[in-house]
Amino acid sequence: MLNKFIKIIIFSISLVSFNFSAFAKDQIKIAMIEPMSGPLAAIGLDLIEQMEFFAERVNEQGGVLGGRHIEIVPFDNQMIAEKTIQQLRKVIDQDIRYVTQGVGSNHALNILKTLKKHNKRNPGKEVMFLNNSAVTTSFTNELCDFYHFRFDANVDMKVAALVTQLAKDPDVKKVYLINQNYAYGQSFQAAAQRLLAERAPHIEIVGDELIVPFGKILDFSPYVAKITSSGADAVLTGNWGPDAARMIIAGANAGLKVKYYSIYAGIPNAMNQMGKKVSTFTPIIQVTESHENDPDHPQWLKDIEAEYFEYSRKSPYADRIRMLIEMFATALDKAGTDNPTDVGFALEGLTSRGAKGEIYMRETDHQIHFDMVLSHVSENVEKTFIYNDEDYGMAYITDGWVSREDITLPTTCKMKRPKKS
Amino acid sequence: MNLVNSIKSVSSWIIIGCIAAIMPLIFDSYFALTLLSKMGVLVMFTVAYNMLLGQGGMLSFGHAIYFGFAGYVSVHILNGIGEEFLPYFPIVLFPIIGAIVGAFLGVIIGYLSTRRAGTAFAMISLGFCEMATAFTLIFVVFFNGEDGIQTDRMVGPEPFGVSFGPQIEVYYLILFWTLLTVVLMYLITKTPFGRMSNAVRDNPERAAFIGYNVRHVRWIAFTLSAMFAGAAGSLHAINYEHIGFESVSVIQSGQVLFMAFIGGVGHFLGPIIGAIGLTYLDSILLDYTEAWLLYLGVTFSVIVAFAPGGLAGLIVMHGPIANTNKSLLLGLVKPYLSAIGSTILGVLGFIGIIEMLYFKSLISKGEGEIIIYWTEFNANGLLSWALFIGMIIAGILLSKITYRQAKESWDNAMSVVKSEISS
Amino acid sequence: MDVFLFTLFNGILYGMLLFMLSSGLTLIFGMMGVLNFAHASFYMLGAYFAYQISEYVGFYPALIIAPLIIAFLGAYVERYGLRRVHKFGHVAELLFTFGLFYIIEEIVQMVWGKVPVGYHIPPSMDFSLFNLMGTSYPAYQIFVLTVSVFIFAGLFAVLTKTRAGLIIKAALTHPETVSALGHNVPKVFMMVFGLGCGLAGLAGVLAGNTLGTEPAMAFMLGPIVFVVIVVGGLGSLKGALVASLLIGVMQTFAVSMDYSLNSLISLLGFSFDAESLWRIFVDLTISQLAPVLPYLLLVVMLIARPRGLFGTRDV
Repeated sequence: MLNKFIKIIIFSISLVSFNFSAFAKDQIKIAMIEPMSGPLAAIGLDLIEQMEFFAERVNEQGGVLGGRHIEIVPFDNQMIAEKTIQQLRKVIDQDIRYVTQGVGSNHALNILKTLKKHNKRNPGKEVMFLNNSAVTTSFTNELCDFYHFRFDANVDMKVAALVTQLAKDPDVKKVYLINQNYAYGQSFQAAAQRLLAERAPHIEIVGDELIVPFGKILDFSPYVAKITSSGADAVLTGNWGPDAARMIIAGANAGLKVKYYSIYAGIPNAMNQMGKKVSTFTPIIQVTESHENDPDHPQWLKDIEAEYFEYSRKSPYADRIRMLIEMFATALDKAGTDNPTDVGFALEGLTSRGAKGEIYMRETDHQIHFDMVLSHVSENVEKTFIYNDEDYGMAYITDGWVSREDITLPTTCKMKRPKKS
Repeated sequence: MNLVNSIKSVSSWIIIGCIAAIMPLIFDSYFALTLLSKMGVLVMFTVAYNMLLGQGGMLSFGHAIYFGFAGYVSVHILNGIGEEFLPYFPIVLFPIIGAIVGAFLGVIIGYLSTRRAGTAFAMISLGFCEMATAFTLIFVVFFNGEDGIQTDRMVGPEPFGVSFGPQIEVYYLILFWTLLTVVLMYLITKTPFGRMSNAVRDNPERAAFIGYNVRHVRWIAFTLSAMFAGAAGSLHAINYEHIGFESVSVIQSGQVLFMAFIGGVGHFLGPIIGAIGLTYLDSILLDYTEAWLLYLGVTFSVIVAFAPGGLAGLIVMHGPIANTNKSLLLGLVKPYLSAIGSTILGVLGFIGIIEMLYFKSLISKGEGEIIIYWTEFNANGLLSWALFIGMIIAGILLSKITYRQAKESWDNAMSVVKSEISS
Repeated sequence: MDVFLFTLFNGILYGMLLFMLSSGLTLIFGMMGVLNFAHASFYMLGAYFAYQISEYVGFYPALIIAPLIIAFLGAYVERYGLRRVHKFGHVAELLFTFGLFYIIEEIVQMVWGKVPVGYHIPPSMDFSLFNLMGTSYPAYQIFVLTVSVFIFAGLFAVLTKTRAGLIIKAALTHPETVSALGHNVPKVFMMVFGLGCGLAGLAGVLAGNTLGTEPAMAFMLGPIVFVVIVVGGLGSLKGALVASLLIGVMQTFAVSMDYSLNSLISLLGFSFDAESLWRIFVDLTISQLAPVLPYLLLVVMLIARPRGLFGTRDV
């Protein structure tokens, strides 16, 4: 009996083929490890779409390094940590030298640490990590690495922007902190406590809460009751996904009149899910690089965004993918080679154009810096947000800008640089 | 006769081991070795799981607890050795640590949940699994929340130059332990305890009547299963140099259930086939389709409804025929091939439809070009839909005929076998 | 006292929602012995159908139509899926619904996409009904509460007071006798399964707009429903009600309590070493533990009273 099974096993294994397409030398490949299936697939697929759009734009304008093209190679990680590592090993096998990722800081951490080990064990075959939106501050502090560059503001910088704006808001005297009890939420909480004391000493913290994350809490009405009884004027929160939406819906249903200062609570699909009434019941303020309805939105960016809309049938939300690809292309040309080490040196201190003023890749910790805009969800906008041709009937209105200097924070990074070749 | 059989079975194990041992010579990329290592770990885990489901009749939705927690403990010990506040412990022996952790948890949770088998047991196991997952997110100091814990397996001295840095060394470590534990688990099924466990699965009342403490039998089976799952969890952590909350979750538990059941819970080799096959598909199809989970769910439900013995069950069906008269098998080939052919036709049509639906709802922005089976189709054109739907209909109609023929020829062969045995 | 009443009221609101979900599951389990893993998936389908239907004809027709469609869908699943598996036993039935759970989740993503959809409270019920301690209660929440009370009363009356209820109960324990009396047992099972799924669908219609309608909603809610029916006692409708309320009230109270073991220790006049590892445990507040409490309750129940609150057999 067993022999029969063995034969079948041999047969099925012989069907297994681990062949990979030959490495095309003329293209510069960026492997993109994001969720393409599973619960967070929508975010991953949107990011890939943006990445492909901007890479194509660079290619159409003549490519890099004298006509070579940038190619995005997507890899699905299903939002499972082991799959991220597995896919990264596949990337290394295929000799792709650039990796980008953004959804889920835990996955970014895995990539960062795995690449650190790989780059140490395999000199000359280094792989660079272009972090597109994983925001954990430590990546550019104690965990900083020469082969890691971040093209999104980190949690501390975002909190700094929120707190700076909060300090200017005359309506806010008391603030309630509510965050998810995991690495990201805790670093939001710590940064908020520190920065509120520094920049807004007149604002009293009347509540400081950590909740169990990832949609485990169904009923937010007890939290709403706590916020109500604390007399807070504003809620400062890092919550995202159902943990944010349910909180705001429960608050609106209970007639809770507070301003929400958040990073992700007002992102497009959240505002659509909550509906016009809830999303505009009280201001949901969020912090981004730029948005379409800003009065000073530059024409060149409007043109790019119009092109992107034609391509994807989606309104632009964040600008960071454009920053990433444009800076990467500039750095390639500046380095004159596609070797990650040289490109790394070229990226250090590189400046580029942003929606308001210059964007800048800080040498000391490889963290991008730019002016940030605070905006809230509103129905009274010139251009409403459109997602796959579905009009959400809402978009963002500027509350104010926070300058690059205000979100520039000291870093603890002690960068170890390789030898220049 | 008995001796011949045991020699046969020993030699089969050796052959399996040899094949597994030469695999890395053929597939030597980093990813392929990772995948092979993962197969080894999951074979071990699934066989352990089947001690519970197949041999003990207990359906668990929470077996990842032992797998994952053992992984966490192993990672902590590895990191402790790396930071030199724990004495050196050879990496080769890490699965023993995992086994201890698994057995410890198995004793406690098994005590609470083995009072009854069946659906009640399944529900309770799900409750425990949810609790364990929540704990991994709450007790940050031990589990490090959703980040999980990273580690470096290159610690301590390197006996015989083996550092466990290169993936191939890890593969052989996993291979060694997988073979050892799988053989052990195989031997357990042959002991009186294994038989007792079967008896409790099939008829708890009668087993209790002849004097066995049903609950104790289940409890021991549960603990043993958790112990082997723990050993596998340890190796899993070493393979990826990482452990995260996903490894404790219901998703991981569901995965092992899929593997065991699709492979076939009734036969010892079923889970092994399931683990190897599904691990491969799970890691490869990821790059080709977004609908992988749908296909998995459909396959699983179809197997539950039509072939509860799993793939192994389908093969075992032919055991008596092969044993008595091999020439009868040849007669089965033709009807089987036509049945398989008509199934494949229908399945190809079904996959085509699903891929086009996914494409239209999630990926396409109006344009229709989609590549299925290395051919370009137009998802907006009526023709491609008609083609795939036609394939499904043709597949179903043909199956109706061919399946009946296949069943008839099997019945005929079996009746021949029966008459030969009785004569 | 006010705070107590207020929290209690919130807890009851939440508990009744849980009951609506678990009533269908406990009904199916009690009558047929089938544990439907995909129960929460029908709840999800209810929310999505209601969203789609209310786009065309408004919320109130959707409130009736969506659960009906789900009920028929459930009956169909029973007729062509579960009935085939029935001969392999209850575990096989559970496994079949486990596969179904994955299938439904993927189909929902295929049809409605992977982002949450905008399913909202109907404007006609989106006003504040009364105020309690500065928090207003929208009419919709009270409507949901009323519906769930009616469901309990209706189910209870049908099962205990009517002939149909007796037949259903008898069909489980004595299928041969019941069919000998001229009743179509498979049909009874089909209707029970349809009804149970319909109830889950109704819960989805009513809760999808406050809890969010998204592909992961079934996965997030499924396990807690199992806890409810184990704690309540398998197959007991009364038990499901009490367990739902217990879990609802317990979780709501837990959230409003910021006490930790540390507060107790300092109340007793001791203090803890700030560097100690145990800090992590003693600093954990009850409100942070709230989501784990149902599972802890499950464990306590298994140790102290394995049959659940109103169950007749040990689990």
